[in-house]
Amino acid sequence: MNLEALLDAVPGYAKDLKLNFSSVMAQTELTKQQAWGTAVASAVASRNSEMIQAVFGEAVNHLNPPVFDAAKGAAALMGMNNIYYRFHHLSKNEKYANLPARLRMNIIRTHGIDPVDFELWCLAASAINACGKCVDAHERVLREKGVSEETINAAVRIAAVIHGLATVFDTERVAAAQPLNA
Amino acid sequence: MLGVGERFPEFSLTATVSRNKGSEFKTITSDDYAGKWKVFFFWPKDFTFVCPTEIAAFGKLEKQFRDRDAQILGGSTDSEFVHLAWRNNHEDLRDLPFPMLADIKRELTGTLGILDPKEGVAQRATYIVDPDGIVRYVSVNDLAVGRNPEEVLRVLDALQTDELCPCNWQKGEPTLVTA
Repeated sequence: MNLEALLDAVPGYAKDLKLNFSSVMAQTELTKQQAWGTAVASAVASRNSEMIQAVFGEAVNHLNPPVFDAAKGAAALMGMNNIYYRFHHLSKNEKYANLPARLRMNIIRTHGIDPVDFELWCLAASAINACGKCVDAHERVLREKGVSEETINAAVRIAAVIHGLATVFDTERVAAAQPLNA
Repeated sequence: MLGVGERFPEFSLTATVSRNKGSEFKTITSDDYAGKWKVFFFWPKDFTFVCPTEIAAFGKLEKQFRDRDAQILGGSTDSEFVHLAWRNNHEDLRDLPFPMLADIKRELTGTLGILDPKEGVAQRATYIVDPDGIVRYVSVNDLAVGRNPEEVLRVLDALQTDELCPCNWQKGEPTLVTA
């Protein structure tokens, strides 16, 4: 389903999310590439098929292939790192932070696109995957690269809305498959 | 012996690359495989016992090395014809997926310092060279003891795995500067 049709199908109880989507995607704090890359990374992190399909279908009009790949790559990488480093953050045993990770993450060096954008998408995915250490680390890097809190917050808005919508589509799919008895 | 951190020497050698008539041999130089890691491993003599098991074992792992952007290059001081005869003769070497360098003038093995002083042939030396041409790992075994290619793969993997994520940075460590 294309994005417009999918959003049209959002039930009334989630109308806020539907309206938020168009406004967050139009935020002037982000470039079009940043906004759509954030949407791609957030859709991946939110794990809902309809959202991924619809966002990808529209994002391909705004992101050229290496950029699209980088957004997916950022979310894929965070799928791994948010678990690994969140564990370090959650465990009271500080020794874990000193053990070598031995996990490849070369895409951080080889993605070939604007490093600010890549970092922004890592932050969005980390916000959805709820890794505190990751959120702090990526936020710090972005600020060191001169990105404002307003821009960072704008990306997190997109992540939040996409995640919310993803839960709606998951819910509606289940509800349609198993209608409640009257 | 050439060690870690040094530049791998320039070379230009004939290599046996195939059993197909007309395309058995190719000149391979230090300029080839640009941008790739290289895994050089040398053995003393063709047609001996320990060598085929090792060479075939590297062959079985070739795809895993290739996935890691690494080219395997085997070699000894035998000529390219001896390499070809050996490949034709030994079942485990028939479909070897990587070149066998013929360092018959002992130029490369001599410069590397891996010629056995008593036997005059290459010792069982393994070099991992990064895309910038720098040696990042070297190991040598005595003539009689074979290598474990899985270990070489493990080291290559470790050399390629950097903890680049800012999530790992400890307080006070320098920040990462991206290209």
